[in-house]
Amino acid sequence: MADSGNAPKPSSSVKLVLLGEAAVGKSSLVLRFVNNDFQENKEPTIGAAFLTQKCNLPTRTIKFEIWDTAGQERFASLAPMYYRNAQAALVVYDLTKPTSLIKAKHWVAELQRQASPGIVISLVGNKLDLTNDGAGDGGGEEGAAEDSGDARKVTTEEAKTYAEDEGLLFFETSAKTGYNVTEVFTAIANSIPETSLKTARGPNASHAPSRTEEQRVNLNGPRDSGAKDSCAC
Amino acid sequence: MESLGDTLWDVVICGTGLQQSLLALALSRSDKKILHLDPNDFYGGAEAAFSLQDAESWAARVATGTGGLFRSASIVRPEDATGSTSRAYSLALAPKLIHARSALLSQLVSSRAYRQVEFLAVGSFHIFKPSQDPVQPSSLARIPSTREEVFSTSAVSTKAKRLLMKFLKFVLNYESSPQLDLWQQHADAPLTQLLQQEFKVDSELQAYIVTLTLSLDGKITTRDGLAVIRRHLSSMGVYGPGFAALYPKWGGLSEIAQVSCRAGAVGGAVYMLGTGIKAMEKVGEETELQLTSGDKVKTRLLVQADDNPSGQTETGISRLVAVIASPLTSQFEASVEGAPRPAVTITAFPAGSLSTTSGKASEYPVYLSAHSSDTGECPLGQSVLYLTTLSIPDAKDILQQALNAFRGVSGDDQALQVLYQLQYEQLSGSKTIQTDGSTITLPTPSLSLSLEDSILGPVHEAWEKVMGDAAVEAEYMAFSDREGVMDDDDVYDE
Ligand SMILES: Nc1nc2c(ncn2[C@@H]2O[C@H](COP(=O)(O)OP(=O)(O)OP(=O)(O)O)[C@@H](O)[C@H]2O)c(=O)[nH]1
Ligand SMILES: [Mg+2]
Repeated sequence: MADSGNAPKPSSSVKLVLLGEAAVGKSSLVLRFVNNDFQENKEPTIGAAFLTQKCNLPTRTIKFEIWDTAGQERFASLAPMYYRNAQAALVVYDLTKPTSLIKAKHWVAELQRQASPGIVISLVGNKLDLTNDGAGDGGGEEGAAEDSGDARKVTTEEAKTYAEDEGLLFFETSAKTGYNVTEVFTAIANSIPETSLKTARGPNASHAPSRTEEQRVNLNGPRDSGAKDSCAC
Repeated sequence: MESLGDTLWDVVICGTGLQQSLLALALSRSDKKILHLDPNDFYGGAEAAFSLQDAESWAARVATGTGGLFRSASIVRPEDATGSTSRAYSLALAPKLIHARSALLSQLVSSRAYRQVEFLAVGSFHIFKPSQDPVQPSSLARIPSTREEVFSTSAVSTKAKRLLMKFLKFVLNYESSPQLDLWQQHADAPLTQLLQQEFKVDSELQAYIVTLTLSLDGKITTRDGLAVIRRHLSSMGVYGPGFAALYPKWGGLSEIAQVSCRAGAVGGAVYMLGTGIKAMEKVGEETELQLTSGDKVKTRLLVQADDNPSGQTETGISRLVAVIASPLTSQFEASVEGAPRPAVTITAFPAGSLSTTSGKASEYPVYLSAHSSDTGECPLGQSVLYLTTLSIPDAKDILQQALNAFRGVSGDDQALQVLYQLQYEQLSGSKTIQTDGSTITLPTPSLSLSLEDSILGPVHEAWEKVMGDAAVEAEYMAFSDREGVMDDDDVYDE
């Protein structure tokens, strides 16, 4: 994610929300993506957290505005506030915990019912390091959590088929080893249609005339610089 | 995990309208234990924004008489618009504009909440000129509100230009001595009296000036009128050339309320939608609340909003929200070089410029706020029109007449097709904050068409009550960015 320092590319903001059952690793995925770090005993998120991270694509820079929500049931009322107007959603489950996939499916259904039409949804099965497939991928951490075996309870096949049926992106990740984490965000960045970055989202977004930053008013703009004078009579 | 009932909350905030939400933002770094409820199953209260489906269920609820400040909601929808189409709309219950010099904007900046809001420019104010005779059709005239505009306008006579210039110059310094003497004797009389007697302004030009105040009855007092016009003039150019006011994308104040609640949640507040207060009981220093969810909670303080109408019908508004099948391209052009393309424009229909179906002249002004699809409130190729007038028996009829008149003059043939209409009335109520022991009741949401700084005082007062001895004035709404939030291209230097 390091900035390349080349000539400035067009840059756009993408609002992304993370949803999923408690303790599946949402905050850990964000921590990995934003700080390339992992905490063995990360405390549950209270309410929500907001972070940003840039993602450099060959032709443009995407600035992710990431809303990491709390998975605990008592915070369920919060979600609509975050997925409203979101361009992307990461729905996370723990692939060692089948109930978390059921919860993920509920979130996907709610997003499809309530979120912006055209939201890009990615289904993410996390904690791959706890399975046999996780071995060898993240370099050096294999088998760290489970001595012998495979803690996997959700097959790749099952989740993948579901994701394909619903038109979702799909990844298996490990926030712990970092495996596939950046890939999830890059894939999302690439899936957001160019038009929806510059235009109002909506069914006809593709017919949009090019709309650039010229429209957004920057509150850090020419504040106070001759404000009064320009209307002096 | 502690359950709701085991916690002694410092404050329970009921309702997620603008004021309650701003309070949540103000308290978001306080470490206070906050439970934020809303009896509605949506955020924003009287400042919410709705998809078409949301609007439908809301209107149905208002029709059952449980809509609080809202009544007589009805929807006309010739076309079926459900599912994903419904969600391409975000119709605002409070499509207010925010002047650049508004204290709210400063608070959004200092609290860092502005980073999550996308602000758009509000363009010109127009006035509707009805046809005087068959050869001269009705038209829209742009109201000049800067020196340049006064010079270049062809809408008013040379004499009127001179008077207007003189008046605008006066307003900029109206609070200092020579000016003060001129207007103080008229302070509580309508602004039009001052314009007529001291500036010899004719009734046409008076209408131009009063329009700048967005006064609902057209009878704003001199004192209030001068303050509003001054705010308008001094807001011009603050955030870029050619515009004085801003509008938050995705449904106006609804967006500010939600961004504030999000900040509250990040600060650890617990949110419950669809949950109100059924009963309350004082137990020693604490208040015990019985929630509609069945939970019982204990709190030191309760903050709620007054959503009981005061019963004075003349202070209510009648609103028509119409979606039209036209981008109204000519309405949304930048007025000066280098200005951002406006997403909102205002058109006023002065009292008397419209007539009811039975031929009665309109008694009060009608204000029409046109929103382009850039506001995110409708799909591309369409626009949303918000029409407002004082709620009198003829109001519904007059709003329809205004809509028709606008379609006639807006310079776009397709504007004739109306896809969707939502109509309702909103009542006003208490204007002051009330404290009764440990219950704080914020004022009823105001009906004004531009955001008034006066809504911020009660929020501040409630914050002081919640903070008690820990209240540090300099820390009110002054926060730094949270960790992990990048300070990139838009560094704000204080
Ligand atoms: N082995 C392993 N553990 C993980 C992984 N990701 C997260 N964890 C652990 O799982 C626990 C929960 O992680 P969080 O990131 O806090 O989960 P969350 O989804 O944000 O939880 P809530 O905030 O309560 O919704 C922590 O102890 C993490 O260290 C992973 O990829 N592999
Ligand atoms: Mg978390």
